[in-house]
Amino acid sequence: MDDDKPGVFKRLWTFFARPSAKYSVLAIASVFFVVGILFWGGFHTGLEMTNTLDFCTTCHEMRDTVYQEYKETIHYSNRTGVRAICSDCHVPREWGPKMIRKARASLEVWGKITGDIDTKEKFEAKRMTLATHEWDRMKASNSQECRNCHAFDAMSSELQKQTPYKKHMKAKEEGKTCIDCHKGIAHHLPKEYKDPDE
Amino acid sequence: MTSPISLPKRVAMIAGAFVACGFAAQALAFDEEAAKALARQNKCLQCHSVEKDKDGPSYKKVAAKFRGKKDAEEKLIHHITSGEKAKFEDGHEEEHKIVKTSPPNDAAQIRNLVQWVLAQ
Repeated sequence: MDDDKPGVFKRLWTFFARPSAKYSVLAIASVFFVVGILFWGGFHTGLEMTNTLDFCTTCHEMRDTVYQEYKETIHYSNRTGVRAICSDCHVPREWGPKMIRKARASLEVWGKITGDIDTKEKFEAKRMTLATHEWDRMKASNSQECRNCHAFDAMSSELQKQTPYKKHMKAKEEGKTCIDCHKGIAHHLPKEYKDPDE
Repeated sequence: MTSPISLPKRVAMIAGAFVACGFAAQALAFDEEAAKALARQNKCLQCHSVEKDKDGPSYKKVAAKFRGKKDAEEKLIHHITSGEKAKFEDGHEEEHKIVKTSPPNDAAQIRNLVQWVLAQ
């Protein structure tokens, strides 16, 4: 009787759970190996596409505000032609932290859909909150994204001016991290921000 | 009783006083919040403070040094925009950081910052 026929899921499960009588373990393993590589490669290619400057400036929320500010800074244009793009500073390189950051970025997509910062006025009203989130993240990671390129040990006392060199060495001794002193290095500081020494 | 100063002279004096007041008002008409924001953005306060000396002199000391000098503004503008050498207490000299504005090279923002420093 038709009524006794198992459902789709049950039949699917039975199919996958049944040992193969036709294919060798090696053949099955090989197929899974190749499919795994394709999946992993595709996943990472897609992920890297979301790390490009073009992707980040697709939305006007970034393109009309922080991107314009960044273009005036040394991280965009400098003597040696080395450029740090958005993801170099805002997305961790390490796999675990990168996945966490990307998962959290889904909230930014939600912000885009709901128009949270879709005008310059709304963006400015939230700039302090957004900047504080990012400063906290950088502080927690010991400014890892800065240190992917910059290191106290790589600073030359001969090439760096005496005063910043002295400050850097003092910061190193005191266990300070880059973002402690370099807030607003690539974007405007929020109007509510006050310097700790003020 | 008639004034010893003639009418045309009086008119000229009053007009002169208005012009002088205008210049004085213009000299004091800096935007403090904008000046502080530019100082923060350029990390001026890493080396300077309004009240106390740090690696650089306090702004009060800078203002006192230039008080009464008519070319004070121009000298300070040159100092913070040209990379001119600054002399430190230990005797060494170092190029002063060039203050940057957004949009770039906005002379009005630089002048506003200098006017605020000179008013301390």
